[in-house]
Amino acid sequence: MIGRDRAAPRHGTLGGETFALLRRASPVQWVAPHLRSRVGVSLVFAFALLFPVLHRNDADIDSAANALAYAALALGLNIVVGFAGLLDLGYAAFFAIGAYTYGAFASFQIQPAWSGFWEPFQWLQLVARMPMPTGDVVHFTVSFWLMLPISAAVAALFGVLFGAPTLRLKGDYLAIVTLGFGEIVPIVARNWPSVTNGAMGLNGVAAPQLFGWSFGVDATPYYYVGLGLIAVLILVSSRLKSSRIGRAWMAIREDEIAAAAMGINRVKFKLLAFAIGAAFAGATGTYFVAKLQTATPEMFMFPVSVMILVMIVFGGIGSIWGVVLGAMILQILQSWFLEDLSQWLHALGRLIHVEWLQQIELVQSIEMIFGLILVTMMLYRRQGLIPATRAVPALSLAEQAAQVELAAPRAAERLRVLDNVAYQGDGPLLEVKDVTVRFGGLVALRSVSLTVPARSVVAVIGPNGSGKSTLFNAVTGLVVPEAGKVNLAGYDITRLPPHDVLGRGMARTFQNLRLFPNLTVLENVLIGMHARLHTGAFGALTRLPGTLREEAQAREHCLEILALFGNRLLPRLDHVVSSLSYANRRRVEIARALASSPKLLLLDEPTAGMNPAETLELAGQIKNLHEHGLSIVLIEHKLDVVVSLADNVVVLDHGEKIAEGTPDVVRRDEEVIRAYLGRSASLGSAAVA
Amino acid sequence: MPELLAFRGVDTYYGDLHVLKAVDYTINAGEIVSLLGGNASGKSTTMKAIMGVVVPARGEIFFDGQSLAGISIAERVRRGIAPVLEARRLFPRMTVYENLELGAYTRSKGPEFEEDLQRVFSLFPRVEERLKQLAGTLSGGEQQMVAIGRALMARPKLLCMDEPSMGLSPVFVEQVFDIIQTINKQGTTIFMVEQNANMALSIATRGYVLQTGQVVLSGPAAELRQNEMIREAYLGEMKVAQA
Amino acid sequence: MTTGALYLQQIINGLSLGAMYALLALGFTMVYGILELINFAHFSVFMVSSFIGMWALELLGLQGQGVILTGFALVGALVFGFVVTMLGAGMLGVAIERIALRPMRAARGTAAMITTIGVSYVLLNSILLGVGADSKNFPNPMPEMHWDIGGATLRLRELLIWCVSLVLMLGLHLFVNKTRLGKAMRATAQDAEAARMMGIDVDRVIVTAFFLGSALAGAAALIFGLYYNYTSFIIGYSAGLRAFTAAVLGGIGSVTGAMLGGIIIGLIEALGGQIVSVRWTDVIIFSILVLVLVFAPTGLLGRSTTQRS
Repeated sequence: MIGRDRAAPRHGTLGGETFALLRRASPVQWVAPHLRSRVGVSLVFAFALLFPVLHRNDADIDSAANALAYAALALGLNIVVGFAGLLDLGYAAFFAIGAYTYGAFASFQIQPAWSGFWEPFQWLQLVARMPMPTGDVVHFTVSFWLMLPISAAVAALFGVLFGAPTLRLKGDYLAIVTLGFGEIVPIVARNWPSVTNGAMGLNGVAAPQLFGWSFGVDATPYYYVGLGLIAVLILVSSRLKSSRIGRAWMAIREDEIAAAAMGINRVKFKLLAFAIGAAFAGATGTYFVAKLQTATPEMFMFPVSVMILVMIVFGGIGSIWGVVLGAMILQILQSWFLEDLSQWLHALGRLIHVEWLQQIELVQSIEMIFGLILVTMMLYRRQGLIPATRAVPALSLAEQAAQVELAAPRAAERLRVLDNVAYQGDGPLLEVKDVTVRFGGLVALRSVSLTVPARSVVAVIGPNGSGKSTLFNAVTGLVVPEAGKVNLAGYDITRLPPHDVLGRGMARTFQNLRLFPNLTVLENVLIGMHARLHTGAFGALTRLPGTLREEAQAREHCLEILALFGNRLLPRLDHVVSSLSYANRRRVEIARALASSPKLLLLDEPTAGMNPAETLELAGQIKNLHEHGLSIVLIEHKLDVVVSLADNVVVLDHGEKIAEGTPDVVRRDEEVIRAYLGRSASLGSAAVA
Repeated sequence: MPELLAFRGVDTYYGDLHVLKAVDYTINAGEIVSLLGGNASGKSTTMKAIMGVVVPARGEIFFDGQSLAGISIAERVRRGIAPVLEARRLFPRMTVYENLELGAYTRSKGPEFEEDLQRVFSLFPRVEERLKQLAGTLSGGEQQMVAIGRALMARPKLLCMDEPSMGLSPVFVEQVFDIIQTINKQGTTIFMVEQNANMALSIATRGYVLQTGQVVLSGPAAELRQNEMIREAYLGEMKVAQA
Repeated sequence: MTTGALYLQQIINGLSLGAMYALLALGFTMVYGILELINFAHFSVFMVSSFIGMWALELLGLQGQGVILTGFALVGALVFGFVVTMLGAGMLGVAIERIALRPMRAARGTAAMITTIGVSYVLLNSILLGVGADSKNFPNPMPEMHWDIGGATLRLRELLIWCVSLVLMLGLHLFVNKTRLGKAMRATAQDAEAARMMGIDVDRVIVTAFFLGSALAGAAALIFGLYYNYTSFIIGYSAGLRAFTAAVLGGIGSVTGAMLGGIIIGLIEALGGQIVSVRWTDVIIFSILVLVLVFAPTGLLGRSTTQRS
């Protein structure tokens, strides 16, 4: 994949041995993919550039130019479906909007009466004055090259308008709503003849001109425009994918709630994906209509949306080169191969005197083939021809042994990354006042209050189902409390959405782990930094020095955080997290939360599923974080962990706070012993005494 | 006492994750056996393995002397294993009566059904009062009664209870544990996963302690209660380190 | 016709369309209730079963509107048509579940839904390639009996549609609420894992849902043919989308909601065509779909369609 930087640090601050180990861990991967993919891309484009010269068949070049248009659409849909995980079944609607935007302003369809108003536009060569028997009229002559970005922008605008109210729907409902939108647009086109010429379609759409030379009907210039369009869209896609924006999209795709908890504004990034995807379709619509010089509503119906979907499923959802390949193969299949195959079958039929073989028209069955491809790929190869994620080989036994040699606590001594997290203000860092949460009739939290002073560790304990995790959800904005108040560093965060809570300096982990399972360790931790980075779409596309510097620093920051866990995670940077052990996944989740430089870290059972040795190791690491000024709220069942870490303990039972105090005080509390240990209190006190 | 349920060297995986590691349990007819362990130690997986939702990668599970390998859930219920699920898991938009009916799903409706219904009513008079109510509208304690009642409707030899005290008020927890003892005295063997270790061990015959998928301790409940390790490492997880 | 009579006529038409959409919507809602899957294959099951219905009636020697039957012959022909169509449709639904969807059971997200789009495409194009693109004259043996009600006409076919729909919906209602399997189906929809633990064979429940849902689509398809006197490879798409809108409007997952939603969509289609214009009917219906999903995601009687938190 082009543009995918390996995590090579530019200037190591971690000390040589760690990175020496990293390099040992994957000697080939550090250089080769980059070089290999550069050479590959160059060869592909060289062939594409030479194709019309080598193969002087106008019909074939024309087919190739059409295929490029579909590849462009596939790239756009890939951003929406592949990157952001939003299934759009009405994608052709944006294609139509782009097509009609150009078509209406580059044909004789809209011809208002001439007036002085139009003179400045005439001077800008956007319109021409055309004499008609009934009086002069305006003829739009906006250049194709200008309309290309304009159509993209118009389609993007519709993407936002349509997306804004609908993007909070669950995946499959979003699909249905987009399908409805995809239906409505061609119907509007059919029923709005003054702009679209209705079902008859626009005619005489102007061909593009370059320095006064019109493209006319020759396929070659269109082919090169299409190739240029594809090149730009591939570049845009790959740069977005490997940027902060691409990571945010993939986070939303993998786990929306975790994405929000990591500071990603879901609405904003979903809309961005929708808008950029729509823009791709808008530009392609302009290209396509300019090439065909006509536009009818039938060109943009549901089957077109499905065809584009088939292309990306076939090629590999989320894979840039995969979807281009998928689109090209299916188009070539449609326009060349099936035609030829039909001819061969006819010939065969004549030869062996079989009537039905002579009648067969495989081109008509293209939709059947699409359907079969869709079902077959879904059943047998869901990742497509070129999968978006490559498997990284597991560490060899020698490599695993090598990690153990490096003592874990040593790397943790360097906690430069935590320099700025300590809360400096007066007053408590977190104040929870009388928070009540109700699910239906069930009261999950009843008027719970707690205070976390700066630089302290507070543990929340209580039996399963007592409301501990609900408390975390209420504090971090995942659940809106029915009553009560939450203040963080003196700022009211009660009704803030989760991503703003993180932005305010509170990060969390989840009891049942909510990592982004198909992303790598490094990507997961980088997503944790989302709120601390600033790269927007412009920065991601231009890759100005500032952006590159930010990205490099972000990677370095992540490596330093991962170094807190010694060598548990550093050698596994490029492993997808779903391949890690349970304990390592817990560590990644903590690293991800730390990457956001929180003032306050909420850990929901960080040691669950860890054996005693691992628990001890993690407890030491948490203590280390605390000693560097980080405040921590901890849900924990292992009381020895609680006692060794916590300054203060809050006990919940049935959604109510039943005790609070130092570990010593709490464990002697009658109420706690009863709630926690049950009725044989004598035994309970024996155990705690 | 004859052996009712036995795990022999059972290993299970969840994806790549090795959950149960060469686990052995033996539950004899008439016993109450408690399974103790922290979150993610493999307790719920044990319950799932008994019901056949999780299939052992190695090892075998025997019930009533017969291997359960390849036996469907329905057949397990028919042979006499009934679960009381974690967090109760009633069918919220069905009536209490329908929930009880579904507990007896694997058995044909006859006089035995009425008999079992009466047994549930005698154990839980409140359930009879709420028969026509939607299960989702009951209080947590009432839901637990229905959940236990639903399991009893299968007329089980072995009742597998996953955290019966979870989310219940202390008073109610005691009631539930009393009822568990009553059910046991009526002849049903009980295998119970429970966080509330003291309560669980106080009514249990024997106990097992599970830690990251391995049985680290087992024995008669009275002994376990005296065991130094369990008192430190597990009982309510209330070990007090001299920090 | 007076304006009042005109509206009355559209209400009669709307109720007939609505009954058909309701039957079709039930299939969506049953499968969704259990698998949380929007089953696009249902569109094509409806369309294919209209051809099954056509062939079944033609098997009796009925061609177009040429043969008119009365009395027992009519009843017998119709019963035969409905039984064969519903069985055929039900079996088609079961086959789809077994071949294409069961292997997808564990897949996350929208993969299974994309598969149903593929299945729908395969079915649609099988009919297109096998039967051709032109619409077919659908056999209709019913005599042109009609009654005058306040200036509007109530035809025999409308009466038939109402009766058949009422019987089928009542039957489904009884099945779901009174039988052992029906209760198992509701339990599975509410908590599949708990249902499994009760010994309910969830696979069997799913197959039953597909069979019943598809069989009802078969009944809807026969109704479509008898109402419009034609069928074509294209009918599944727009009828299917309307029925889906009906299911969403009524509250997806809710059997009563699907019936209610179907009737409402039918009335909107008939009256909307009268009041606004037939050309904009689809836009009106899709706008309702979007508006319901966005502003009242639980529909009239259903559960939430939005993401948690």
